Amino acid sequence: MLSQREAQERFARGLLDASDAAVLGHIAGARGMDAAAGLAVYRNNTFSNYRGALREAYPVVLRLVGADFFDHTADAFVRATPSTFGDINVYGAGFGGFLEGFPGARELAYLPDTARLEWAVHSAFQAGDTAPLDFARLAAVPAERLAALCFVLHPSASLIASRWPILAIWRTHQPGGGEETIDLGAGGCDLLVIRRGHDVDLEPVSAAEFAALAALANRAPLGDALEVAHAADPDFDFGACLRRHAAAGTFADFALE
Amino acid sequence: MSMRPDSVSAAIPPARAGIGLRAPHYRELLDSRPDIGWLEVHSENYFGGGRPLWFLEQLRAHYPISLHGVGMALGSATRLDAEHLRRLKFLIARIEPGLVSEHLCWGAVEGRHLNDLLPLPYTEEALAHVCGHILQAQEFLGRRILIENISSYIRWKHDTIPEWEFVAEVARRTGCGILLDVNNIYVSAFNHGFDARVYLAAIPAERVEEIHLAGFDEGEACLIDTHGRRVSEPVWQLYRETIAWLGPRPTLIEWDTDIPALGVLLEEAATAQSILENMENPHAHIRSLPPDGAHAVHGRLSTAGRLRGRGAVLREFPASPLGAALQEA
Repeated sequence: MLSQREAQERFARGLLDASDAAVLGHIAGARGMDAAAGLAVYRNNTFSNYRGALREAYPVVLRLVGADFFDHTADAFVRATPSTFGDINVYGAGFGGFLEGFPGARELAYLPDTARLEWAVHSAFQAGDTAPLDFARLAAVPAERLAALCFVLHPSASLIASRWPILAIWRTHQPGGGEETIDLGAGGCDLLVIRRGHDVDLEPVSAAEFAALAALANRAPLGDALEVAHAADPDFDFGACLRRHAAAGTFADFALE
Repeated sequence: MSMRPDSVSAAIPPARAGIGLRAPHYRELLDSRPDIGWLEVHSENYFGGGRPLWFLEQLRAHYPISLHGVGMALGSATRLDAEHLRRLKFLIARIEPGLVSEHLCWGAVEGRHLNDLLPLPYTEEALAHVCGHILQAQEFLGRRILIENISSYIRWKHDTIPEWEFVAEVARRTGCGILLDVNNIYVSAFNHGFDARVYLAAIPAERVEEIHLAGFDEGEACLIDTHGRRVSEPVWQLYRETIAWLGPRPTLIEWDTDIPALGVLLEEAATAQSILENMENPHAHIRSLPPDGAHAVHGRLSTAGRLRGRGAVLREFPASPLGAALQEA
């Protein structure tokens, strides 16, 4: 008799790869349907579930390419990219990178970065909550140790840099976003995406600020973050930047190296 | 586990009608606080923080809460996902739900989750395996869970155990409760051509701690459990029978696709509530399964459901046609 593991492996392959010959002999469709028709109900459902999850995460890409092409792309992505978690809400990371090499999407050079921005927004909505930064404990750090301080960014925070005006693209394609024409030659943008309260903010930041936050996100100590920020802009006010982000909740915690 | 003073979420949902909490209704529910018995959420939708968890935190002060999982895939031949269990345990600690449930299904293979509720082969091997996972989950979570019967569109040819016996045996071996989805029984009875009454008769009544009701769609050849419409009349009929047999149980109206206005859910809940309050209705009876006919496959499948209650109510059998049917058997 087919083992449980073998039965499930064969069913999964039949569901996703259309290589269903190995499972059809072992199942019976409901209500007189043949096995292939029964499996097709599940196949339709599975792809429909994933299309729905990806549409939820990538509404701007959906508007940019249209429903038919989106679903076609989504199905190919699903075949190439296994879901690895039981919560379908977190499925779809990597869709931006997938679009880079996907036939038909290559002409839309801004699409992958737009997708990356959408994933940052989607992930920010779903990130966990944190306790506020402990300012009393922060104040107790001696001045001579400050350069070794490592901030932990809020779990919802992402830093997205693009040579395309993806913030304008994103805003224009929000519901009620208007008919504004995007100048694709308008230049790129550096963005901090983060949940503040219940809303997700897309905040344009300067190159120096981006460099500092990216260093901190990689757990670099303050001293290193200061250096990379000043390398980008010698006049950058690092202290003001830190105070602003600390007050706004960009940092969830800190540690001393 | 201590109950926070400002919360009723840890109370076991009463034997009343409740509704599934869905994002479009957060604000209206919190503002209007309708008179329903309890709320159920899909656990995974609250694995993060932010707005969803904030609303659930507010609502738990007013309603008993049930956490209903769709992603643990307890019957998969892989190991249980430790991260999934950890997140669920964290959510349980935060929300203190009165009930926690999952599905009797599989959904993952090595290296890949399918994010669907797939029917097990009903074999001794699968029974032993899924019971092992349920026991592991209950131990890790530190509490009993309820297990829900799913609807299905295929069956395995090497099944050796009827689904209803499989469900009953899972409850017996693991001590878990049963979340009886009456719509799923109806859908699967139609799809696989078995008698819903035979299914019900095999279920240990005292283990049924919650009931789910939802709407199905008619596919080309079979019924599809879409949770996208009102509960159908034959399912209400089967529910009346079920309640006449079990006694009142917490009963959930589930709606997951094409989510309607809150008022529609409340109307459905009011129908369930009136059945719960008139459960001794001796005219209730299970109608025969729907006739053969052409249907069209469309819509998304979804799965969720559960129920709870207690009390064996064998003495009520004579009062209901179901009881009569069982006595004749």
